Order: sequence, then C-alpha cells, then structure tokens
Amino acid sequence: MANSGADLIKGMATGDREAFARFYDRYAPLVFPLILKIVRERAEAADVLQEVFWEAWRGAAGYDPGRGSPEAWMVTRARSRAIDRVRARRRRGEMFVAAVDETLAAAPDDPAGDAAVRAEERGVLRSALDRLPEAQRDVIELAYYGGLTQTEIAERLKQPLGTVKTRIRLGLERLREIVQPL
Amino acid sequence: MNQRHEPFDTLAAVYALGALDGEERREFEAHLAPGCARCAAALAQHAATLAALAPSAPPVVPPPEVKEALLDRIGAPAARPERARRGRLRWAVATAAAVVVSAWFTGAFVAVRYEAQLGQMARESAAQRRELQRDIAALNDELAPYRSAAELLRDPVTQVVALRGLGPSPAATGRVIWHPKAGGHVFVANLPPLPPGKAYELWTIGDAAPRPAGVFRVDAQGRGSHRIAPVDDGKPVKVFAVTLEPEDGVQAPAGPMVLASK
Repeated sequence: MANSGADLIKGMATGDREAFARFYDRYAPLVFPLILKIVRERAEAADVLQEVFWEAWRGAAGYDPGRGSPEAWMVTRARSRAIDRVRARRRRGEMFVAAVDETLAAAPDDPAGDAAVRAEERGVLRSALDRLPEAQRDVIELAYYGGLTQTEIAERLKQPLGTVKTRIRLGLERLREIVQPL
Repeated sequence: MNQRHEPFDTLAAVYALGALDGEERREFEAHLAPGCARCAAALAQHAATLAALAPSAPPVVPPPEVKEALLDRIGAPAARPERARRGRLRWAVATAAAVVVSAWFTGAFVAVRYEAQLGQMARESAAQRRELQRDIAALNDELAPYRSAAELLRDPVTQVVALRGLGPSPAATGRVIWHPKAGGHVFVANLPPLPPGKAYELWTIGDAAPRPAGVFRVDAQGRGSHRIAPVDDGKPVKVFAVTLEPEDGVQAPAGPMVLASK
C-alpha cells in the first residue's frame, strides 16, 4: 500500500507512530542534506533535523494539503530552522568568526565533503540556478544557503536594498518557470 | 488595480526566501495576518519553487540515531535511562514478534530460527554500538588539544611561537600557540625518547626567573603536546623553553635545554 506523503501526515495527526516512521524515511533524505549544507556541521545538522521532525509530528494536524505539498511543508520548515541556527551562531561568534565566515562563503564547498560528490552536486545545482542571470543567482544563493537577510546581502554585494529585493523576486519567478514547467 | 499591492508581491518573494528583515518584515506580517489571498498564494508558490531546489544539495544519509531518538520521544511517556538502546531493542523485539506471527502460519520451525537470528543481531548491534561509542570518546580526547588550539587561533591576539632544537637535540622542533589570557598549547616533534624517570618540562620566561609550565612526554616518534595554563600575574612571556628534568618536574630548570624560542 503506497501512502502519499499527505496520508502519512494525516496518520501522524492521529498519533500513528508507524506513519511517522515512514514519513521520516521518506523526507529525512530530502531535508537532511539541505540542512547540512546550510549549517555545515554534522552534529548541529542532526539537531536541526530532530527539531524539524519533532515540529512536524506536533504540527501534523495543522497541515493543509491545499496550501502546499508535504515536500514544501518540510523544506520550508527545515530551511527556516537551519537558518535560525546559522544566524544565532553568527550573533554569538560575531567578534572572531566573521573572518572565517567570509572564507567559508567564498568557498561554498563543505571542507569535510567528498570532492567528487561535491562536483557532481554542484553540477545538478547549477542546472537549475545557472539558468538565472548571475545577479539574480547570487542573491538567491546567499539567502538560500547562507541564510543572509536582504540587508546583509545588500551590504555584502554593495548594492542598493531595492535592487536586491527586485533581483530576489525576478529570480524566484524565473526559477519557478525552470523547476515547474507548466 | 494592483498598483497598490505591487510592493507586497516583492516583499512576499523576499519573505518566502527567509530574507525579509527589519521594519519591512513587520509591515509584511501585519499585511498578511488579517488574510491576503494573493500573498498567501504567492508564498505557497514560492515555497514550492524553493522546495524543488532542495534535492540539489549533495546526498547525505540522515543520521539513524535521530530517527531512534524521535520514535523514542514520541512513544515515551516519561524519561528513561538508556533510551536509544532500549528503543532499538524494542524495535528488534517488535520485528522479531512480527516475523514469529507470520511464520506461525507457514511453519513454526521457521519462527524459531529467525527469532534466534534476530536476537543475536540485536545483541551484536548493541555491542557494536558500545564499541563505537568508546572509539568516539577516545578520538575526541585525542582531538581536544587541536580543537582548543584552533579556537585560540581565531583570536587575533593569539601568537604562534616557533621553538628550535638546541644542543643535544638539534633536529627537534616545536610550536607554541599562546594567548596572553587563556594560556595555550605546545606541540613538539623529533625530541629524543625520554630516559626512564625523566620528562620534558616547559618554562615560561618573562622578566624574572623561568617559571615551570608543566611536564609532558613524547611518543615513539618524538611527538607530544601539552596544555599550558595562563601565567598567574598575566605578565608577558618573552621566551618559551623546554628542558629535560626528573619526571615529577622541578621548580627551577636544572637539566639540559632541548628547545627554546628565538
């Protein structure tokens, strides 16, 4: 019996442990790599993963399939929690970490990652993001993987805030056409 | 007619990306709270687009202990010791039970066989887990000085001081990573093996007499590391030196000097 993700969430809302186990098996492999890419540290990524699925379990009754797919529901949650971590870390370590952070941002590859897998992965990533004009791709990558806010992006790229906002909107609209052809 | 809504379309995109901040974020949330169908639809659309980018992160296997911990948290009415292992055993037992029930219909002897096998698998995996935990603890101990040194290096006031071999050990080398308030670490290489009853002793030298900064040993390759406590009075250290002394250490250097800075 192949349950849809939405069915599993419905099961979770009624306290079905087995549905949750299957939900985890299906969606953890999707969101964990993303969380790891954002927080860059395995133990911390595992923490975030647990937080995200715990919230999904607690919030299952509030899921409305009309408002988005289970993928979008989980990815939104995962990105948001991972970015919270990165921002908290940035605030804590502001004094000494800023320089390190710059270096990491300049070299987006996780130093612990396997170079071959990385290269392949970047190939895939490029196929979606690379079709954006560079100016739009930069702002979206800095926010999506770096967790930077519009103000921080404007400072880093030395661009007016309005320009950054416009690029984000145009970039997302273009991406939508690329990843979800109608 | 949509002229007045236009700015919110842009804010919705930035908000969906998680990049909206400051006053504009409050403004957008205030606009969204009473219910704006157009923005809700835009946010859902953007979330779907952003979710479609997720599979482009490099594939990594999610840590299995997270699933165990979550299932335990869900099923556990109260905190219990050794949650993870008991969770795993409970699953193994549940699986074994399911196998037994289904095998009962096809032949009881199959059940006996699988039950024994699964029991053994559960015992083996618990033993492996304990072994791994010991290995991880040992590796963490070994890593501790390097982690601590790396932490110190983030602070711009931290100095790295080179030590050179002297007299009896010209090939010896060393580095001191030194923070004036937090102390530091010394890492050495190519020191001669220690005679029985002896150890190397580190000295910090400021304006007054050399002060003992602890004894340490080296491995078969002549390598060693040692944590240096901060200097009590916080006075600057000008020279670091290592001498060969009795293994309990002495209060003033007496043996030959094997390494020194400058």
